[in-house]
Amino acid sequence: METLRTIFDPDFLLRYAVYTNLLVGLGCPLVGVFLVLRRLIFMGVALPQISSTGVAVALSLPLWLGWGHGAHQGEREHAFAIIGSVVASVLAILVLAFLERRHRGLSEGRLGTAYAVATAISILLLSKNAIAELGWLDLLKGEIIAISGVDLTATLATFCLVLATLWIFHKEMLLVSFDRTMAVTLRKNVVVWDLVLYLLIGLTVSSAVLSVGPLVAFGFLVIPVLTARVLAANMRQFFVFSSLIGGATALVGFCIAYRFDFPVGPTDVALSGVVYAAVFTTKRVFVLFASRNHAGREPVAANGLSHH
Amino acid sequence: MNDMIISLENLTIGYDANAVLTGLSLQIRRGSFTALLGANGSGKSTLLKTLLGLIPPLQGRITMEPVNGRPLNFGFVPQQGDFDPVYLLSGFEVALMGVYGRIGAGRFVPSAEKEFVRECLHATGAEAFAKRRFSELSGGQKQRVLIARALATRPDALLLDEPTAGVDTAATQAVMNMISRIHHEHRFTVILVTHDLHLVREYAELVIWLHQGEARIGTVVELLNPQHLAEIMEMEFR
Repeated sequence: METLRTIFDPDFLLRYAVYTNLLVGLGCPLVGVFLVLRRLIFMGVALPQISSTGVAVALSLPLWLGWGHGAHQGEREHAFAIIGSVVASVLAILVLAFLERRHRGLSEGRLGTAYAVATAISILLLSKNAIAELGWLDLLKGEIIAISGVDLTATLATFCLVLATLWIFHKEMLLVSFDRTMAVTLRKNVVVWDLVLYLLIGLTVSSAVLSVGPLVAFGFLVIPVLTARVLAANMRQFFVFSSLIGGATALVGFCIAYRFDFPVGPTDVALSGVVYAAVFTTKRVFVLFASRNHAGREPVAANGLSHH
Repeated sequence: MNDMIISLENLTIGYDANAVLTGLSLQIRRGSFTALLGANGSGKSTLLKTLLGLIPPLQGRITMEPVNGRPLNFGFVPQQGDFDPVYLLSGFEVALMGVYGRIGAGRFVPSAEKEFVRECLHATGAEAFAKRRFSELSGGQKQRVLIARALATRPDALLLDEPTAGVDTAATQAVMNMISRIHHEHRFTVILVTHDLHLVREYAELVIWLHQGEARIGTVVELLNPQHLAEIMEMEFR
């Protein structure tokens, strides 16, 4: 409780990191639900990594172009990083989703290759850029500390945009995901709706990668969603629980990391995994117990046989 | 009013320039019950997808007669096994999707449309289990929900893709009787894809038999007589 009070103190040094982590925890699962529904979980692994490669390329650009150190170098790098991340995420999801639809090659193989190659390119690029390497390695490790007010505002804006779009167009997104054929016969423009969804996913992923790194982005895209799937009874609960579990994990994860001096990102993801395992196991035990109880209480007919 | 609702002229259909069916010409009458028969891979689903506008024809022309000045409205009933159980949708929510075509993007479903969906579920006998999760319903129950969803589109024609596949005999009979009743009550045009000759004989008026890229068209009496059947079976197993 004391830790919670400390991290929510308006003068707390890492307050931007707390709020950003919380927003990522709340926002990523909202689009992650569609990755799970569309059976694109592996895309959730590959996308943040490709997005971070976009950042690495963007951070290497000034070096390749021979631009020296200037007064506004930090701002310029930040702008480049945002552009690189968004462009890489959106392009990657469009290409990967297109190939998925056309059933070209092995899906898992494609995504695995994209992940491995993207990681390798990031490391190669950053190894030749000492200045960018320092900050970026922190992000890769999930060290969510150096978050500025601009980062927080950008993350908040992305979260609001994603929430509003999903709230307003949930009917269309769900129809196109659940039954594409039906959507076409109802004269819905499925390509446009796919594009809107992929843009939302790309934007969320790039925003999360820029603020908390690829590991945390992937963790929040998928794990809270899988946890919520165990608990939810309908689609509304699925979305709400996913977001709340993500937000709660982010908050508790930050408290634990702060209290025991762990890196925040890995703490968040490890905690998400623990919560998922606990919820899954509890549900299984509960179902098993309930079914045994039900069998024990089953009315027995006069001839000694149960009604079944 | 033109009695023909769908006309196919010298139609060639297929995927990526690979023709599955060639030179198909036929007319489907308004309010008729047509069965689409053929072995696996004969092009039944390809023809259905072409009619629905999911894939463009490779050659030839499809003419759909407008109804009251608006384009033809299809109520499509896919196979019940086509849906992923990961979606936590109730039977009612699945059926509700039928009205989405009349509701603009970003608008919520009005209560009158929800009431209409309840009527459709009632008409197909799916009202009792509509609140249950769709993925947990039996094959026959899912089909009833999917037919209710197709009715909710206020269709001019119902296209059913093997609606009794994976459904037990009793449920098959119940589903087919219900389709037949709806067909007679509303005079919808029905196009049914099936493997089941017994069902075709019992319910269909016109039969389209697809085989090796060609189509034989005739009434049940013309096409399903013993002589023709023997000929077709011989072709199928040759």
